[in-house]
Amino acid sequence: MITFALSKGRLGEECASLLERAGVDVSALKEDTRRLVLESADKRYGFFLVKPADVPVYVEQGVADLGVVGKDTLLEEDRQLYELLDLKIGACRLCIAGYPDRGAQDRKPLLRVATKYVKTAKRVFAERGEEAEIIPLHGSIELAPVTGLSDVIFDVVQTGSTLEANGLAVLEEVFPVSARLVANKVSLKLKSREILPLVENLREALL
Amino acid sequence: MADIGRLPAGVQDIYGAECAHLQRLRAVLTQLFERGGYAPVKTAALEYYDTYARIGNAVPQERMFKLSDTDGKLLVLRPDVTLAISRLAATKLPAGGARLYYFADKWDLREAGGIWGREVYQAGVERLGEEGAFSDAQTVAFAIECLQAAGLKNFIVDIGHVGFFKGLLQECGLNGDEAEEVRSYVNGKDSFGAERALRKAGAAADAVNAVLMLPTLFGGAEVLERAQSVTQNEFARSALAYLKEVYALLSDMGYAEYLRFDLGAVKSLSYYSGVIFSGLVEKLGAPVLSGGRYDRLADDFGKNIPAVGFALGLKRILTALERQGGLPAPQEAEITIVCERGAEGRAYREYLRLTGEGKRVCLSAVYGKEGERAAKGRVVTIGKEKL
Repeated sequence: MITFALSKGRLGEECASLLERAGVDVSALKEDTRRLVLESADKRYGFFLVKPADVPVYVEQGVADLGVVGKDTLLEEDRQLYELLDLKIGACRLCIAGYPDRGAQDRKPLLRVATKYVKTAKRVFAERGEEAEIIPLHGSIELAPVTGLSDVIFDVVQTGSTLEANGLAVLEEVFPVSARLVANKVSLKLKSREILPLVENLREALL
Repeated sequence: MADIGRLPAGVQDIYGAECAHLQRLRAVLTQLFERGGYAPVKTAALEYYDTYARIGNAVPQERMFKLSDTDGKLLVLRPDVTLAISRLAATKLPAGGARLYYFADKWDLREAGGIWGREVYQAGVERLGEEGAFSDAQTVAFAIECLQAAGLKNFIVDIGHVGFFKGLLQECGLNGDEAEEVRSYVNGKDSFGAERALRKAGAAADAVNAVLMLPTLFGGAEVLERAQSVTQNEFARSALAYLKEVYALLSDMGYAEYLRFDLGAVKSLSYYSGVIFSGLVEKLGAPVLSGGRYDRLADDFGKNIPAVGFALGLKRILTALERQGGLPAPQEAEITIVCERGAEGRAYREYLRLTGEGKRVCLSAVYGKEGERAAKGRVVTIGKEKL
């Protein structure tokens, strides 16, 4: 049996239909249930439903063989995994955003950056040789510059409408993000006969 | 809250059944190492920071546990056993090579959790002063012997060669940082990331296409044939020829069924110089064994010592055995000796006689009926000698 760590929500739905096109029986995923461990009727596939940030953990530890997770989460978690495919779903951008008139160009001695991607933000600013004070938040990141908690934010942007509604704009796109198929390093080798054909089917389903 | 009586994250006390299993595993491996002609070695746990930080194969400073000495010099807890033995060999051992084994902790300053510990107990061997495919094949064969002796089932040894990647990289003309970036993508089988990094660095299309094949070049021995058509680079082709030689030798030794190949496995560009390999076990998400050839490792310590070896993660092996249901129940005393007051000497002599026969014996410290009630195994009661 191949086990998947998948996240719930919209990405989960898109992911289920992609897996279905690749020949995976995903009817278990479509049932309205509160169960967190599901199995396909033919017992070939198992599914764990977890929070997006936990997908890399389940896969790295080998509890799940495969996982589907956003590149933003992979960058932040920095786990030992194989990244097999860009599934092209859940596309967005990791951006620095703020007030367009002031923005990042308005160099303060220390730029204050609000984000939920703390490690990635530290890396991004360190790589540029810029000093930044990272302010960790868990949600509604856009509120930080509006209330004066930070100068800019570092976050994923999909349509930009939340930014716009709060008078903010993308100042810089740092990294394109989409969902990736990741594999446990041992599972890929020991279950290659089951996993590789599935990866091939997914690759074709993406075309 | 005071931390009295607590342990920091990522370290553990080992006791009870787990400690008994660990001890049994140690005994099995020690016997194998000794019979295979390896000599034991134990290096210092505390070393100078410079030994690991100011060398070509530096351990990242954020991954080392540091302390300061009375003279203010920076010390570290041994972050890598192979480097420690390489230092020992270069500075203390006579020239001419050695086959060594060890049981040792290494300390890794990282976020702990699950399969990642910060105090990692390893067993391993190092074959110093040896070169050639036969030496490498023997080392892989010995690794398989170790995993068999440990009692593991359904394992494979996944073999690669850093020379193949280095050869493909020659064609790309990258600088050190770019090469390291591409290595980390290839090692993670991330073709998308590797392609982006190679294009950014301005590598030629042919060279890029060859590197992008790497994440698919894993599987059985047929991989070595598939890889042949990927490149004309001489360095890469000679790495491939070398791997075929190692494979032929291991097949002749009877180990073909355990072998897999992965030419996209590139653990480190500077540490390893040739063949690299990992032991992978069903039901465990991380390797139980990791090794390879590191001919240039002693350069930093002023000697040229070709070498090959591997380390076994003992905790991981125990976890895998547990998940495979391969851990025997811990052994308790077979016989308990209980005595009456005044018969202590006779009881002790009986204890010596039985242990001398190889029995597991508990000499109770509680007298008479009370001692008998708490006894384990067969009970032998020694009374006062009747006159």
